[in-house]
Amino acid sequence: MNRRKFLGYFGSAVALSAIPVSLSADDYRKLKPKAWEAKTVDDAIKELFGKSELIEKDVKLKLPKIASNGGAVPVKFSTKIPAKTVAVFQDANPESAVAVYTVGKYDITNYSIKIKMGKSGTVTVVVEGLDGKLYVAKQSLEVAAGGCEG
Amino acid sequence: MKVKAKLKNNVVKVKLMAKHKMSTYNQAEKKTGDRENANFITHLSGTVNDKVVIDISTSQFLSKNPIFQFQFKGDEFKKGDELSMTWVDRKGKTKTKKVKIK
Repeated sequence: MNRRKFLGYFGSAVALSAIPVSLSADDYRKLKPKAWEAKTVDDAIKELFGKSELIEKDVKLKLPKIASNGGAVPVKFSTKIPAKTVAVFQDANPESAVAVYTVGKYDITNYSIKIKMGKSGTVTVVVEGLDGKLYVAKQSLEVAAGGCEG
Repeated sequence: MKVKAKLKNNVVKVKLMAKHKMSTYNQAEKKTGDRENANFITHLSGTVNDKVVIDISTSQFLSKNPIFQFQFKGDEFKKGDELSMTWVDRKGKTKTKKVKIK
């Protein structure tokens, strides 16, 4: 192969890795801005997925029953359903959307985060299956000291 | 950003803590009188060998200095491969951390 062509391959490889990752991966903040402004969980689900029918099965959700610190509530969630998207919502803060995961080829849908809960309420995890259906799990918790205003 | 990635039984488990105030609109209003001072991470993603292994859009309701745990299939990766994590916040600041998978 001639030298110029050989170097050309490296040139394009460098250019690709210079693209910020957020541009090559889904950014739901930009794709669905209204979902992040929605106050209720139902509205956020509708804005994000364009549908509202939820099937309550096959999604695992673990939270403490009582959180002493509403500023850092541990939320663990997982599913074995082949999924496109996994989203977390709650009804204890001014807006309901917390996080939206774009499930890629390598993802194992087993995640853990820490969230703020302004008061006692319910956390909802919605999994958008590859079959286009929405699967859900919900769990309520009591918060001793709210975590939004701190 | 602190990132730990461990490969075991073909699964890479990652634990990450981002350093960020994650100030909500309400917190910004209370502290500075201006909601527009709110700043929080809006996107977190990671790649190994240019392959996307995690991709999350996030809101003001993640905890301050948010912690994330996730896992991905490790069959195409090996110990020593580099995981590159990047977050972007509402004001457009980005931060990247690269660690080797152990």
